[in-house]
Amino acid sequence: MVDMDLSQPPFTLLDDSGRERVVRGVDLLYFNRGEIILDAGQPGEFVYIIHKGEVAELDPHAPSDQARIAHYTAGDLFGAISILKGSSRYRFKVEQESLCYAMPKTLFEHLCDDYPAFADFFQRGLAQKTRLLAERRAESGVNMAGFMLARVSACMRAPLIVEATTSIAAAVNRLNESHADSLLVGKDGRFGVVTKTDLLNALVMEGATQARPVVTIAHFELVSAAPDQYLFEALVQMTRHQVARVVVVEQDRPVGVVELTDVLSHFSSRSYMVSLELEQADDLEALARASARLPELVQALMAQGIKLRFVMDLLAALNGRIVDKAYQLLVAPRYRAQSCLLVMGSEGRGEQILKTDQDNALIVTDDSDWPDREIAMQRFTETLYTLGYPPCPGNIMVSNPAWVDSESGWRRTIARWVERRDGASLMNLAIMLDARGVAGDTRLLDRVREHLFASCSHDELLLSYFARAALHFAAPLTLFGTLKTPRHGIDIKKGGIFPIVHGVRTLALECRINETSTLARLAALAEQGRLEADFAADLGEALALFIELRLKQQLAQLDGRQNSDEPNLVVVQSLSSLERDLLRQALHIVKDFQQRLTHRFHLEY
Amino acid sequence: MIRSLRRVADRRRQADGRYGWLFSPYTGDEMVAIDCETTGLDTRTAELVSIAAVRIQGERVLTSGSLDLRLQPPASLRGDSIKIHRMRGVDLNDGDELGEALEKFLDFIGNRPLLGWCIDYDRAVIDRQLRPLFGFSLPNACLDVARLYLREMHRTRPQLEPTVNFESVAEALNVPVMGRHTALGDATTTALMYIRLKKGALTTS
Repeated sequence: MVDMDLSQPPFTLLDDSGRERVVRGVDLLYFNRGEIILDAGQPGEFVYIIHKGEVAELDPHAPSDQARIAHYTAGDLFGAISILKGSSRYRFKVEQESLCYAMPKTLFEHLCDDYPAFADFFQRGLAQKTRLLAERRAESGVNMAGFMLARVSACMRAPLIVEATTSIAAAVNRLNESHADSLLVGKDGRFGVVTKTDLLNALVMEGATQARPVVTIAHFELVSAAPDQYLFEALVQMTRHQVARVVVVEQDRPVGVVELTDVLSHFSSRSYMVSLELEQADDLEALARASARLPELVQALMAQGIKLRFVMDLLAALNGRIVDKAYQLLVAPRYRAQSCLLVMGSEGRGEQILKTDQDNALIVTDDSDWPDREIAMQRFTETLYTLGYPPCPGNIMVSNPAWVDSESGWRRTIARWVERRDGASLMNLAIMLDARGVAGDTRLLDRVREHLFASCSHDELLLSYFARAALHFAAPLTLFGTLKTPRHGIDIKKGGIFPIVHGVRTLALECRINETSTLARLAALAEQGRLEADFAADLGEALALFIELRLKQQLAQLDGRQNSDEPNLVVVQSLSSLERDLLRQALHIVKDFQQRLTHRFHLEY
Repeated sequence: MIRSLRRVADRRRQADGRYGWLFSPYTGDEMVAIDCETTGLDTRTAELVSIAAVRIQGERVLTSGSLDLRLQPPASLRGDSIKIHRMRGVDLNDGDELGEALEKFLDFIGNRPLLGWCIDYDRAVIDRQLRPLFGFSLPNACLDVARLYLREMHRTRPQLEPTVNFESVAEALNVPVMGRHTALGDATTTALMYIRLKKGALTTS
């Protein structure tokens, strides 16, 4: 007869009889303030679960300001590691008189033997704990785990490969025989794809004869995927490149084709419908309708427990398409070819989920001849506003002439920023660094970015000025390493998201990484050996956690469940103990990262 | 006075019996918190519905090895008491017989001192059942937590007129009330109150 809350991990990993054993096997203990429950070096005899009160974990050998390892409150569990390791590494001291349940060592060991998942729980890092949380959410929502776990290989069909000499007529025969929509043509070790549409166009529009070799109409720029990629990523690829199939390539050989219809049969959700609607939109009104459906799509995907980074990828692709489409509708092709539209800020990094302010800029070629450019840009900004992108409060928009310039003009501007290196210039540099080309000639942006890297990445002094902003906001942890709990909540944008994003951005600038998304930058940094792979993965998970927490609040706001208009504020008291634990660990990773930056860029003073 | 005389008489009578050891003085460091649910509030007519006992060792409440007995439904089990302890006749159909239950109870508590909330009442009810079946009353030393609380309050805050009901005392001592009106829940809560009182909850705060 014990009132224990067993609805949180790790007890969710037990079945009913296991939980019954826990309830029957625990004792109650009362501790006064200042008592030491378990001292360093003592063998662990019990696993403690706090019913009420607070306990601190201390390192008795560390100097007093760093001694604090962790902090436990109601619902938290400690002492398990001491049992697994044989003796306790740290000292557990009661901060506030506490009532604890104590599970004897023997019971704990038996449970670990009988339930491997329960045993695993105690030996995991942050990344795995997050996965656990995601799995739990997936269970509560619609069960989409089947889709999420599906790899490309599960859904691909065998490729239809024909010789380069095959005629069009023979190719059509082969297609009909095997009920396929496309085939691959091999030529000199390369492969091209021919779709039914290509055949139709060739025969009807170009008047090709049936005997003509099919290789002449094949496309050799393949949109490809690897067999072990997630199906979801294939879908992102299709959306991004506006094609209906991807070729699965393994060791430079095509091993299969994934058709859009196959993916849809796996995934009859709204994401493709929205992108389809986007593609079909031929006026601004239709575009606005499609764009208004994005929040709904995000909600559906999140409820299905789809991993946040894929949602971000998909949304970035869709938002990019919207902006591109609007640009196409408003700007004549002649001018499009001589300009490049950039999206910047979180949109450039592909990290906004729900629509944010429009941050954009324009690069035009040096020899551009565009008489009514300002008027066109003014109209473009207004159009985006009607599509649901609020104007940028900092006026970083193409309607502002300061953010529209020729290529050489941009080079000069960047040189000026580098030279000045005051707050505003550094911010502008950061914004420019996150720019991603969405419409027009993106080679313009590549050249400008190359210039930016050339002028910054070796300038240690500039880098250290640049990095300083990442330390501007300290992680909201107390002196003792626990979460701060102000009543209005902690600001995870300042305390978590910004330091990671800006720190990674600085490193990306230093290492000349072209990617703009923070997660892709982290992967590139890990590959270059600039960060350890583990640390990069933890940083990525921490960032995903912050964004997810923020997204949850934004979605709650959309539903009208929450009135606060500040989605960056997370009220710690309202989180579950697992979420709190994750948040605390994530903030510690941020703090660790800030310390590394301090060390690397000499920001100690 | 009468009780101690009766205890001496019981002890002499049981000296060679199966329960003689209950009368020897206790030397260990454990106590037992007990609580009963009954069919009424009059010690002369109330019958036992369930008995629970939890051992206390130092600062630990040994809930893992607790005793929780349910008895066969007594004839006087009626609506008004069911409302309080929520044990219907059917819930008790597989309960122990009175004699068996008391035997288990005696074996569990042994000669340890007993602890309870208004323990005189529980003890009176148990004694009334115990005497005809076993021929003696509970010989254990008893401690009433309600009275202990009152005494501590008078000592530390003489100006206050304390309210002594179960829930408010639990709150004052910062003890969570577990499963109110189940015998085991009340026994556990009483045990926690005792530990808090002994550790000076009233003097420090």
